[in-house]
Amino acid sequence: MSAPAPSADDMKQWLKAVAEHEDRGAFGRLFQYFAPRIASFMERGGLNAAEAEEISQETMVVVWRKAALYDPAQAGVSTWVFTIARNLRVDLARKASRASAGVAAMRELPMRLEASVEDMALASERDARVRSAMATLSPEQATVLRLSFFAEKPHAEIAKELSLPLGTVKSRTRLAMAKIRAILERDL
Amino acid sequence: MITHHPSDFTLARLAAGTLGAGPQLVVATHLSGCPQCRRGLRSFWAVGGAMLDEAPPTRLSPDAFAQALARLHETDPRAEAAPRVLHPDLPPPLNGYEIGPWRVVGRRFRWRRLTLPESPDANVIMLKVGAGQPVPHHGHSGTEYTQVLTGSFTDSLGRYRAGDCIEMDEEINHQPVVDQDGECICLAAVEGRLRLSGWIGRLIQPLIGI
Repeated sequence: MSAPAPSADDMKQWLKAVAEHEDRGAFGRLFQYFAPRIASFMERGGLNAAEAEEISQETMVVVWRKAALYDPAQAGVSTWVFTIARNLRVDLARKASRASAGVAAMRELPMRLEASVEDMALASERDARVRSAMATLSPEQATVLRLSFFAEKPHAEIAKELSLPLGTVKSRTRLAMAKIRAILERDL
Repeated sequence: MITHHPSDFTLARLAAGTLGAGPQLVVATHLSGCPQCRRGLRSFWAVGGAMLDEAPPTRLSPDAFAQALARLHETDPRAEAAPRVLHPDLPPPLNGYEIGPWRVVGRRFRWRRLTLPESPDANVIMLKVGAGQPVPHHGHSGTEYTQVLTGSFTDSLGRYRAGDCIEMDEEINHQPVVDQDGECICLAAVEGRLRLSGWIGRLIQPLIGI
């Protein structure tokens, strides 16, 4: 009974309803879409099921609280939600006290990095372009990108998956990632 | 004019949250002054968003949504105090951290240590080296990240000025020397353990504890 995937505009509308009217129905739809994906993403990054579910819940609570701070000119909803989950995950990894969860990572990397004028004009298109660019990566590039997101020791795991000697994996990885970024930003 | 940047691999790991706490702080300091790298971070954040969309939904406990609803109006334990600025002369995000006093090692350089309350194991130090002096010779057991805060230095690979970020792998044994026109202050962190070699290293290593 999987519902059709919501569009980027649907998600923006739901978030707006949460921000402006504390709309629990809209929050429910955001939860239904994101919470199981955040948990899955976190499990892939090495958390156990209970930790992954905890991060997904916390992320959604932060989404509720910070909905009014979401700026569609800065990022798509999925990217915004990702940065929240990422910050909570970083603090968990740092074994921060519960009371400070999320604060440390957000202090270092505020979600709203001041954007240049040029950046602002591009933000709305970035997500869609990044998605189509990702589809054009070679299998090796896709592996490097995936492991840099999920592996604790990315070099060792990239070496293993691509059967590269550890001695050459660093330069290969750097080269691959520079190419990936060039692809991601090619038309921007 | 910034000419040295962290690698795109490092930006991707920063975006993903898989970079260590010490290197993250050094690279985030670089980003605060570098629009080009902020743009890279945004690209990789967008990759994260796309990966999130593609993640296969997992089964949550049946009351997961009810639990989340129950938490919506709890007092926010994360109520964020306005970020403290302890060192107005330093760039964000560095200016909110506790930094120990300058310590003198020989006549050639001074160092001070940053305390990351959320990551007590992270080793981030600030080094101040006089004009024309060698930056303490070091090899590393992991990638080392150095952000030039003021002044400049030169090694066999190039010249590094304020705003530059240098990412050095363990196999590189560079011999940086501070330029003649003034002292140089850098922020440095390693993934893995920093290995300072030579007599200065043997002297300082037990003091810094890295």
